[in-house]
Amino acid sequence: MFEDFLDRYAQSNAIRNVNTYYKVLFGIITMIVSLVSTSPVIPLTIFILVSFIILFRAKIPAKFYLKFVTVPLTFASITFIFMAFWFGTGSYIYTLGVFNLGVTVSGFNLGFLVFARMMGGFACLAFLGLTTPLPEIFSVLEDFKFPEELLEITMLMYRYVFISIDEALRMYQAQQTRLGYSAGLKKYYQSMGMLIANIFIRTWTIGEKSYVSMQSRCYNGKLNTMDDHDSIKGIPVRNLVVLLLFEFVLSVGVYLTGSFRVL
Amino acid sequence: MNIIETKNISYHYPDGTPALHNVNFKVEEGSKVALLGANGAGKSTLFLHFNGIIKPSKGTIFVDGDEVKYDKKTLLKIRQKLGIVFQNPDDQLIAPTVKEDVAYGPLNIGLPNNEINERVKESLKSVGLEGVERKAPHQLSGGEKKKVAIAGILAMQPKIMVLDEPTAGLDPKGASQIMKLLYELNQKGITIVISTHDVDMVPLYASKVYIMSKGTIIKEGSPQEIFKDATTIRDANLRLPRIAHLMEILNKKNGLSSCKPPYPLTIGEARRRVLEQNLI
Repeated sequence: MFEDFLDRYAQSNAIRNVNTYYKVLFGIITMIVSLVSTSPVIPLTIFILVSFIILFRAKIPAKFYLKFVTVPLTFASITFIFMAFWFGTGSYIYTLGVFNLGVTVSGFNLGFLVFARMMGGFACLAFLGLTTPLPEIFSVLEDFKFPEELLEITMLMYRYVFISIDEALRMYQAQQTRLGYSAGLKKYYQSMGMLIANIFIRTWTIGEKSYVSMQSRCYNGKLNTMDDHDSIKGIPVRNLVVLLLFEFVLSVGVYLTGSFRVL
Repeated sequence: MNIIETKNISYHYPDGTPALHNVNFKVEEGSKVALLGANGAGKSTLFLHFNGIIKPSKGTIFVDGDEVKYDKKTLLKIRQKLGIVFQNPDDQLIAPTVKEDVAYGPLNIGLPNNEINERVKESLKSVGLEGVERKAPHQLSGGEKKKVAIAGILAMQPKIMVLDEPTAGLDPKGASQIMKLLYELNQKGITIVISTHDVDMVPLYASKVYIMSKGTIIKEGSPQEIFKDATTIRDANLRLPRIAHLMEILNKKNGLSSCKPPYPLTIGEARRRVLEQNLI
C-alpha cells in the first residue's frame, strides 16, 4: 500500500543515515524560506532543487516520486484556478462568459504564488518524509519541545495506522471473497459502508486491548521514549556551513525577486 | 512457597455474565504451570486478575506474598514483578521501533538510560532477535513480533511471566522456539504460567496443570494425573494428547493389554513403553 511504500523508502534510502537534525533543519528552514517569499520564483526553485535532491541524492525512484507529486499538484492546481477566479480585484484579463466570472491580474498572481508556495513546501515535506523514518523525526520534535501530548498521539497513530491498514485489507479481502464488491454499484457502496463501520469498531477494541497491555507494563499516563538518537552536535561543521550558505542564497533570492510578478 | 495464589475469586462481567467462579489457582515459585481450557473458559480473564487489571467481584489474590491491592503504588510493584505477554502481539507492541518498545516497561519503571540500554540488548539477545532494534513493528513477521513482545516483558526483569496462548498463530518451528525459550527462562529462575489448548505440548512442558471450564477450575495436578481422567478432559472440550489417544485405542479396541493406563503422554514415554514391553 501507499503508506507502506513511503515508510519503506524512509527506512532505506541513500541518505537514511545522515544526521536526522540536519535533515529536519534543512527541511524546515527551506520550507520557511519558501513560505515567506513574496514572489513565486524562489518557491519554484526550491521545488526543483529539493526534488533533485530527493531523486538523485536520496535515490528515490522517479516513478514513485512523480506519483507522489501528483497529489499536491492536483490540489495546488485547483487552488490556483479558484483563486484566479474568485480572489483579486481590478479589470478582467479573461472572462468566462457565464455568471460574470473572470480572471484578474491580482487574482492570477495571488493564485500562482500560493501554487508555488504549496509545491515548494510540499517538496520540503516530501524530503523529510522520504528520507527520515518517522520515529526519528519524533525524537527530534521531542527535543524541539513539541507538546508532549500531541507527540504521544502522533506516535500511537503512527503505530496504529499500519495495524488499521492491515485490518482493513483483511476485511476487504474477506468481503471480496464473498463477492462484496462485484454485485453492482449499490452493493459496492453498501460493502464499503460496512467496512468503514467495522474498522471503527475494531479500532475501539484494539484500543482497549492496547490500553490493558500498556497498563500491564506499568503505564502511568505518560509515554516515555528513549533519547539516544542523533544529536544536533553530531552535524559536521562543513555541512552546517553549506546549509546556512544555501539558505542565505535562497533568502537573497527572496529579497531580489520580491517584486517579480508573472503578469 | 506459592508465588501466585488466588483465594476463591469470582468475577462477573459488567453486564452480569459470570466469568469466573470460586477460582483457587496456586503457582509455586520456580515452577512451570499450564492452564488448559477451551475457548471462552475464562483463562485470559483469570490472568488479568493477577496483575490487578481486573478486580474480582469476590475473593483475594496474592502475588509473591503480597495481597493485590488496587492503589497505584501496589499495582506498579506487582506489574513489575509479574509480566503478562498477550496473545496478539499487535495489541502489545505500541512504540514506533522495536528498541523503544522493549524499553517501554523499563522507562515506565524509571530506570536510568544506561541500564535500560543494557536490558534492551540483553532481552533481545535472549529471545534470539538481534539487529532489529531500529525496525518498526509492522516490518516484522508474526513470530518475530511475539519474540519482541516477550523481550518487552523480560526487560522489566519480572519474577513471574504469564503468557496467554504463547504459541497461538505460530508455525511449528516458531512455536517450539518459543517453548524452548520459556524452558530456558524457567531454568534461570523465572516462574512461568501459560494458558493453552495445545494438549500435546502440555506434558512436555508443564510440571503442574490446571483445567478450566466455564469459569471454574475443574481439575489440577501433574500431567499424568490430569490426563488419567479422559472423560473430564473431553467434557471440557479438550482431548488427550495424540499419543495417549493412540494408546487408548490400541488398548480398548485392539485389546493390547500392554497399552493399559496410565497412557504415555509424550513420544518419549511411548517409545520407552514400546521398547520395554517388546510391542514390536
